[in-house]
Amino acid sequence: MKTLSYLIARNCKVYFRDKGVFFTSLLAPLILLFLFVAFLGNVYRDSIRSVAEGIPLSDALVESIAAGWLISSLLAVCTVTIAFTANIIMVQDRVNGQAADLFVTPVPRSLVALGYFISTFLVTSIVCFVALGAGFIYIGVAGWNLSAADILLTVADTLLLTLFGTALSSVVCHFLRSQGAVTGVQATVSAAYGFLCGAYIPIGNLATGLKNAIMFLPGTYGTGLVHAHLMGGAISAVGEGLPPEAAAQIVKGMKDGFDCNLYFFGGAVPPWTCYLVLAAATLLLIGVYVALCARRRR
Amino acid sequence: MNIIEIEHLKKYYGEVKAVDDVSFSVEKGEFFAFLGVNGAGKSTTISVLCGQQSRTGGSVKVAGKDVDEAPAEIRRKIGVVFQNSALDKSLSVRDNLKYRAALYGVTGREFEEKLRELTAQFGLKDLLKRPVGKLSGGQRRRADIARALVHSPEILILDEPTTGLDPQTRKSVWETVNAIRRVRGVTVFLTTHYMEEAADADRVVILDGGKILANATPLELKNNYTGDFITLYGAKEEDVRALGLSYEKVGEALRIAVADTAAATELIVKYPRLFTDYEITKGKMDDVFLAVTGKRGTE
Repeated sequence: MKTLSYLIARNCKVYFRDKGVFFTSLLAPLILLFLFVAFLGNVYRDSIRSVAEGIPLSDALVESIAAGWLISSLLAVCTVTIAFTANIIMVQDRVNGQAADLFVTPVPRSLVALGYFISTFLVTSIVCFVALGAGFIYIGVAGWNLSAADILLTVADTLLLTLFGTALSSVVCHFLRSQGAVTGVQATVSAAYGFLCGAYIPIGNLATGLKNAIMFLPGTYGTGLVHAHLMGGAISAVGEGLPPEAAAQIVKGMKDGFDCNLYFFGGAVPPWTCYLVLAAATLLLIGVYVALCARRRR
Repeated sequence: MNIIEIEHLKKYYGEVKAVDDVSFSVEKGEFFAFLGVNGAGKSTTISVLCGQQSRTGGSVKVAGKDVDEAPAEIRRKIGVVFQNSALDKSLSVRDNLKYRAALYGVTGREFEEKLRELTAQFGLKDLLKRPVGKLSGGQRRRADIARALVHSPEILILDEPTTGLDPQTRKSVWETVNAIRRVRGVTVFLTTHYMEEAADADRVVILDGGKILANATPLELKNNYTGDFITLYGAKEEDVRALGLSYEKVGEALRIAVADTAAATELIVKYPRLFTDYEITKGKMDDVFLAVTGKRGTE
């Protein structure tokens, strides 16, 4: 355990000492937030009003729902893209010869691999929780409708998504042998993942085939969970003052429209299933990573 | 007592025989040099010795134990300095030593004591807090060697430690290595393609194309594979050519190859007017290498 803790400390220190990489990781969510607010804010506000089907919404409530969508989308994307940035230490060590140097020590390769995994998880968690803190402040300014349960569940979602991102990036980075390959993969993941996990555009707006295809990707379920927990309170507030039946209908319509409720080939996917899919996918990826490391040892 | 014993080692990559039936041993406390051009199989042999790569055949024992049977135990006995520094450039020298030592279970007070000892021996006091990326080539090499010794290994493997360094820094690195040998009595296993670096070794193995071509002390190699040389100053080239012996121009001097010291003496006595300003030297390791492999080495 002591050796593992030193390996993790070394990896984290190398990451945070490289100011270029560290600030890029911190800047990524902030740039994404800026782009969301500057270019997509009005699109989402209009979309919220149209999904509300003519029910007059206060500007404050629209802002609160839009903020929930923005921050949840940002979190869903960052937990994965930052993990790819954080895993650069593993590839750099391979490229610079540090990995070969580590393997002349008595430390088992499995422990070295575990060290990279845990340090990637820690680094990603730190950056994502900084982003989440900034996100809570943004939501607070826009209009706070979150309960304590929403906050706790969002924290749990962030941790689970970070673990998923760490496992996914560990498997992909295992095959990378150059700095250029890492940069290429990072750029591809940053550009594509937001669309593939349903973070940038609500799934309901996509063509049926694409909608169904996206539901086969585990990241979508994580995105659905953070959407539900960061937007649910604000959307529920839309129904306040309306007859219960009408309120339930409008709230459900809005939750469906903004992916707080997910559907797999028309069937509703309850939150516990979303957690199950994400956890199973994470475990599967960890299994693949372990198998890859074991294969390399042989 | 042999600390390293390698018998019939083979390492093939498909059709390529990187190491082909190599056998040699290294005595405890010896300064052993593995000499060969790039691609001779030196680094592959070290990779197998350190357990980084599997072998196609043969046996590799360190302190009497097979590297496959007790890899962790053997790795504790070995410290390696690779050709390319493996230090983390963004971390300080102290952090580099600390994180390395922890991999061998050297932490806390034990590490602090080790750090004091290495700091004094390698003159690292003013460098401890500096990021490795800001050190000069020589300082970085010293830190590299200190890091390889942080767990007090019995064998120090130096894989082309001076490649890319300027002559002054190379000299400084060798002073450091010689001091380690004097103070610690550690076995030094050097791989190099600089011929003259091997001249101070206790034993030299010349490797080429994955095979051992020679295995002897530097003196034995010089006696067996090269003759002596008379370096003659102020003589006319046509007079030397008239001797009918092989010679080459070295600056303003002429370097005549003779079979041995006796032949040199005989020649000088026979032509006293010609040999007025001269010196007799043994062949260099470069001459040995050329004679053994047919290839010109790096001086």
